[in-house]
Amino acid sequence: MGRRRLGIGLAIVVILVAAAGTAQAQAKLRRGGKFEVQPAYASGVVRLGKREGYRGYLFMATNGVAILELVRIDRRGEKGTVSLALYAVHTRGSVDETVRARFGSLGSFSLRFRPNGDVQDEGVRSGCEGPSTVTEHGWFDGHVTFHGEHHYLDFTLPGGTGQLERSFPLVCEKGKAFHLPTHRLQPYVVLSSFFPTDGNIALLYASARRHGRFTGIVAGHRNGAPPGAELRFESFESRGAMAIGRYALAETPQGALLTSLPGQHPATATLAPPAPFYGEARYRETSAHAGAWSGNLGIDLAGLRLPLTGPGFHARLCVLSPLGHRKGCDFFKAEPEYDERPARPWWMAR
Amino acid sequence: MRRRGAAASALALVALACLPASAGANGGSGTSILRRPPIIRTTRFELQGSNGYSILIASGSRQHVMVKTTSEGEELVTEYVTRDLLAAPDRVRAKLPGLIAISVRFYPRGPLRHPSPPGCKGRRPAVQHGVVRGTIRFIGERGYTRVEAHEANAEIEEATSWRCSAAAAQPEPPPPTHETWTSKFSAQREGVYLLVRKYPPGAIEGGEVLYSADAGEIVSMQPKLFIYRHATIAAPASTFADAHPERLAVSPPAPFAGTGRLSRTPESVFTWEGDLTVQFPGIDPVPLAGPGFGSDYCIREVGCIQQSFDSHS
Repeated sequence: MGRRRLGIGLAIVVILVAAAGTAQAQAKLRRGGKFEVQPAYASGVVRLGKREGYRGYLFMATNGVAILELVRIDRRGEKGTVSLALYAVHTRGSVDETVRARFGSLGSFSLRFRPNGDVQDEGVRSGCEGPSTVTEHGWFDGHVTFHGEHHYLDFTLPGGTGQLERSFPLVCEKGKAFHLPTHRLQPYVVLSSFFPTDGNIALLYASARRHGRFTGIVAGHRNGAPPGAELRFESFESRGAMAIGRYALAETPQGALLTSLPGQHPATATLAPPAPFYGEARYRETSAHAGAWSGNLGIDLAGLRLPLTGPGFHARLCVLSPLGHRKGCDFFKAEPEYDERPARPWWMAR
Repeated sequence: MRRRGAAASALALVALACLPASAGANGGSGTSILRRPPIIRTTRFELQGSNGYSILIASGSRQHVMVKTTSEGEELVTEYVTRDLLAAPDRVRAKLPGLIAISVRFYPRGPLRHPSPPGCKGRRPAVQHGVVRGTIRFIGERGYTRVEAHEANAEIEEATSWRCSAAAAQPEPPPPTHETWTSKFSAQREGVYLLVRKYPPGAIEGGEVLYSADAGEIVSMQPKLFIYRHATIAAPASTFADAHPERLAVSPPAPFAGTGRLSRTPESVFTWEGDLTVQFPGIDPVPLAGPGFGSDYCIREVGCIQQSFDSHS
C-alpha cells in the first residue's frame, strides 16, 4: 500500500493545523485590492501516542472546539487499511490556559500547556501582512481519558507532548484570511474530499442517511491499476453534544470488486472486501439511473458494526472504457443528487 | 533500405562509442585534471555471412567490440557486444568460445580522407581506409550464420565534433514516426519489448501495421557478453484486430508467430495473453504475451488503456 495513502490519516492532523497555516515567506499585499482582517487565534495539538494499534491526537482550536483523532494502520503485505475516527466536542476554557471538555460518555480531558522554551517562527500566511505566527513546543499537563464504543480503545493519560500555535491579527487580501469554521461540530468531522471524483474506470457507490447518521462506501478501480480495488468508507453522525466521523481507506486484494463490462446491460457488480469489512453486496442496474443494492455487506470499525446494505441505501455503478473517458467515472460531479454528503469541508480552500 | 541499414549501423557505432569503459581503462589516477575528451576512434569491417546475413564488426575506443548480423531483408538484427582484449588503435581482439574469435591488425591503404556528406557541419571526421588481416571467425547460435576470413576491407574513423542534419542525411522519405500512427500497442516485461503501430493506408510500405520486437540480455559478465536482438516487419491491417474498443488481437507474420490478445476482466484489469512469440535467429521463440507483461494501447486523440508491468503477478 502506498505511503501516500497510508499517511492520509496523519495528513488530516496536518490539514487541521495547516488550515490555520502560514507561509514561510513574508507576503506582500497587492495594493489597491480589497482587504479583510484575520483575527488572532491559538490552536494546540497534543500527541497521545499509540495504543492498541491507534495513534491519537487531540486538536484544540481557539473557538472552543476540540477534535480527538484516532488513526489505525493495518498492513497486509503491499495492501492495507487506514482507519480514522474523529470526535468533535465543544470545550470550556482557553488553549492559553486550561481547556476542558467531555466526549459524552466516552471520556473527557483537562489540559494546560507548559512550554519547554522551543519556539519556531512560522512566517506570515500567504496574502496577509502582520506579525509572524509562532509555534511553541512543550507538554500539555492534566488528563485525557477515553473509552471507545464497546471499549475498542481504553486509555487514561496525564497529558502529552504537543505544540501551541499563536497567530496575531493580520491584514489579508480579500479571500486570503483564515476564518475558523462555524461553531457547529459536524463540519469538523466531515472529509468531503475523501471520495474520489475521477480516474476510476469502475466505480461503485452506495450511501444512506438513517437515524441522523450518513454512511457511504465507494469501491473503485483505476485505469492501469493492478488487480484489486480501492475502498473508501465514511460515516458521520451527531451524538448528543458530540460529532463523530469514521473513515476507512483500504486497498483490497484481487476479486474484491467485480463488475460487468462497459456497454453490458443490466450492469452488475459484486463487492466482497476483506476485514474490517464483512459479507458481500450485489448491485444490479434497474434503470438508467438506478440500481438494486442487496446482500449482507457491513463494516466493523472502531467499536461500531454497521450494515452497508439494506433499506435506505442508494447505489450507483459506473463502468467506463479508458478510451474516450480520460478522467474516468465522475458521477459525484455529474449527478450531485446522488451525493448525500455535505457540500464542503471547512478547511477546503475558499 | 540499404542506405537505411548503413544509417542504423552508424547509430549503433555511436552507441558503441558511448558504452562505458572497463574500470581498468581509467588508469586509477586520483588527480582531477581537466582533459580534452578522448578521440572516438572506430574500426569497422563488414563481411558476408552464410544464409544471407551481412556481418559488421566494429571496435570503439572504449574497449568494446560489436558484432552485428543483419538478415537479407533487414527484418532481423542481432548485436553482440563484448570486450576488446587489446584496445590498441590498429588492432581488434575478442574471443568468446564457440561464438566469436577475432584477432586482426589494420593496414592502411590510400590517403586519409575527410568526407563531407551533405547536411553536415563542423570539423570533418578523418577516415582511413585499409584492410584488416588475421583471424575473423563468427558462428551465430545454432549456426544461423557463420563467417571465417583472414582479411577484410576495413576503415578507421576518428569522429570529431561534426553535426549532421538527419533530414539532409536521409534522402529517402523519412520512415513513419510516432506522429503519424492512428493506434499503437506495446507490451513489455524485463528484457522484452513489443511495439505495434497502425498507420493510415499508404503511409508505410508492405501494409498498414508495423511490428517490432526487441530483446536484450546480459549473457555473461565474465567474459562480458551482451546480446541485443531486434525484429521488425510490416503487415496488413487484418493482423491487428482492434474493432472493439477494449479488445485487441494481433497476429503478425513471420518472424512472429501466434496471437496476442488484450482484454478487460471483470476486475477492470487488462490482460495481455496468448501464444504470440518472435523467432530471433538461433534461439528458441521468445514469448511476447502472458503473465508478467505490462501493456499500453492507445488510439490517437481518443485515449489510452494502460496496465502496469507487474499487474498479473
